[in-house]
Amino acid sequence: MNALALPLRWLASLEWRRGFLEWARTDGVTWVYIFKVLTAAFVTLWLAMRLELPQPRTAMITVFIVMQPQSGHVFAKSFYRVLGTLAGSAMMVALIAIFPQNTELFLPSLALWVGLCSAGAMRYRTFRAYGFVLAGYTAAMIGLPVLDQPQEAFMAAVWRVLEIGLGIFVSTLVSAAILPQSASAAMRNALYQRFGVFAGVVVEGLRGDSQRDRLESSNVRFIAEAVGLESLRSVTTFEDPHMRRRSGRLMRMNSEFMAITTRYNALHQLLERLRSRGPLQIVSAIEPGLRTLAELLDPYVGRALVDADALRLTLELAAYKEGLPAQVRALRSAYEDTAPSESDLLDFHTAYELLYRFVDDMHNYAETHASLAAHNHEREQWDEPYVAQTSWVVSAAAGVRAAAVLLLLGSYWLLSDWPSGGMMTLIATVTVGLSAASPNPKRMSFQMACGTLFGAFVGFFETFFVFPWIDGFPLLCLVLAPVLVLGAFLASRPTYAGYGLGLLVFFAIGSVPNNLTVYNPYTYINDYIGMVIGMLVCAAAGAIILPPNSRWLWSRLEQDLREQVLFAISGRLRGLGSGFESRTRDLLHQAYGLAVGQPLVQSRLLRWMFVVLEVGHAIIELRKEQAILPVHPSYAESQPWRQAIRVMGRALARLFLQPSASNHERALVAVEHAISRVQATDEPFARHFDTSALRRVQSYLHFIRTSLLDPRSPLAELGPLQGPPHAS
Amino acid sequence: MLREIAFHGLYMPTVTLMFLFAAGLAWGLDRFIASVDGYRFFWHPALLRLCLFLCLFGAMTLTVYR
Repeated sequence: MNALALPLRWLASLEWRRGFLEWARTDGVTWVYIFKVLTAAFVTLWLAMRLELPQPRTAMITVFIVMQPQSGHVFAKSFYRVLGTLAGSAMMVALIAIFPQNTELFLPSLALWVGLCSAGAMRYRTFRAYGFVLAGYTAAMIGLPVLDQPQEAFMAAVWRVLEIGLGIFVSTLVSAAILPQSASAAMRNALYQRFGVFAGVVVEGLRGDSQRDRLESSNVRFIAEAVGLESLRSVTTFEDPHMRRRSGRLMRMNSEFMAITTRYNALHQLLERLRSRGPLQIVSAIEPGLRTLAELLDPYVGRALVDADALRLTLELAAYKEGLPAQVRALRSAYEDTAPSESDLLDFHTAYELLYRFVDDMHNYAETHASLAAHNHEREQWDEPYVAQTSWVVSAAAGVRAAAVLLLLGSYWLLSDWPSGGMMTLIATVTVGLSAASPNPKRMSFQMACGTLFGAFVGFFETFFVFPWIDGFPLLCLVLAPVLVLGAFLASRPTYAGYGLGLLVFFAIGSVPNNLTVYNPYTYINDYIGMVIGMLVCAAAGAIILPPNSRWLWSRLEQDLREQVLFAISGRLRGLGSGFESRTRDLLHQAYGLAVGQPLVQSRLLRWMFVVLEVGHAIIELRKEQAILPVHPSYAESQPWRQAIRVMGRALARLFLQPSASNHERALVAVEHAISRVQATDEPFARHFDTSALRRVQSYLHFIRTSLLDPRSPLAELGPLQGPPHAS
Repeated sequence: MLREIAFHGLYMPTVTLMFLFAAGLAWGLDRFIASVDGYRFFWHPALLRLCLFLCLFGAMTLTVYR
């Protein structure tokens, strides 16, 4: 019996332990986070009361706003919060000093300042946005309550900075020292998993069994990850010295990964076209080279690429790259025996040119990944930063919305003399700021209003029925804790974040006792009514004043997306590739987020992005190729082929600025003309793609041509190509 | 040492200055340890950084309030 019981007990304990570990990985993390929020909030509250700061609740609210599950985010947010608070306070003191008696001038200038800050928050969507938000609403928070007593503005600003400083200090301390969840671990995980997923997509595509919608969804995922990893990278530099030493390499990896996805999409597009159109000979001529690559990548599919794997991948890719030219020559001579047409041969060359570049890029990526193992590495030197691109219209819309809300509610307050109008204006400013950087400000404001309403009821009950009965700080913590736990729990769930934030922040604004506790139910109820009205006005403003998720904005962003081709044609060559890739992706990511719930719009945006990336990338390659040409008469600037390429650049710019059937036609003619000019030029090197610049140029031109002709691209919808060209 | 320092006519606790000074010093030390990859020897780098700062700051304030 004993022999039987022991394994059973062991099994039971195993089951339990497995269940516990499972819980610790998922819900446990949330509970640890809630526990940390409570600890930080109560420590802050106690310190603020002990230090006799006038508004301990402000310090506590800071904790709620700054606290995030991962400590890196807390550091980044705190850093920008300090900067924003200082800027906002300085601005407020200056405004009060200039317009002490003139509310007619004071309110518009405050609205202007808040508008500028909201626009800035939309412009820089990462944690820097937070500094802008803070600079905006700290000014309002300090200025509006002391509008009647301007002489108190300076001290109010000083106290506010001290309270916020205390809140930040405690929350960074708690988040870093107690059971830390580091953002760098999350980042490393995302980074390692990403290549496994990508390898799966590539192997599928090379074997010819990929689905269009799957490819699109994985591309959307890669784009979101590219944007997310960049913001994570900027966060981890605050958190982890280990990651800070690798910051340049991480940036480089992100940029190289974007390059390989673009390259792969180009290759995939060409292969798809060949496979669907035939002839079969060309497919069977290209296939062997693809198969070897698919075999090479197969072991990495779906696995996290750890440093040792990356090293192995580097070596394997280097060997593959070395053998590729010989392989291509053998395949080509076999292919030439089947007497292919000129354009089929061009397809063959283009496919292998793209494959070679793809392998080369992937090799670079793997090398950078492998270099992460070293503490110092020369690959750290990287001067092609990630460039974010925000349409100025979008940020201007956010600014106008914020300024309008403040102006409207502020005027109402001043005209009606409603005692709680100040609170209403103030809360509206805070809400507009907090929701400015969210893709759907209307929903965010509305959720916050609901959270506030709930907080008001709970707060009323606590303030007037519970607080009079309790005595001492521990009991206060005990009665506050249930509300805070609920709020922190909601805030940690992305779909309910607005409710949680509203509950935490606005419960604390109204109901956490200040150092001089005031027992006044009328003001209390009035203030909460003001708060909820302010938030509902924000929600209405988000829906009415230039709503970000509407048609005009998508078409604007689509235009911006197309203009990236212009950037590829005319931008400065240094760092152009990385800048182009990241700007295009950033724009798409934004537009995609704004168009959520509109699959048609999303897929249209995505297809535009594919065309823009393919054509833009080829143009950049062409420009790079021309920049490093050897000195020889056949490569001179005045050669017809170079002139033809310049003409083509202008035609493409016109096409992407004003897509129309006639511009499409003209661009195609220009590309074909450039191809024939290149073909007609002699050069002093053998026509292999590793030695001949003209062959590579021809491949890229041919690739641009295939992109323009792609039946799935939005360009194909412009109209029939056979129509007579007419003046536009 | 004096407990308050006059700064342009404004009395400031010496401890505040020391806080800033200790923060700067801890930051420099942190950079140095990071540059030689010293943090790999420690279980909880964030706690180490915090304690380092507390030790520096505590040692400085002892000279004022003892």
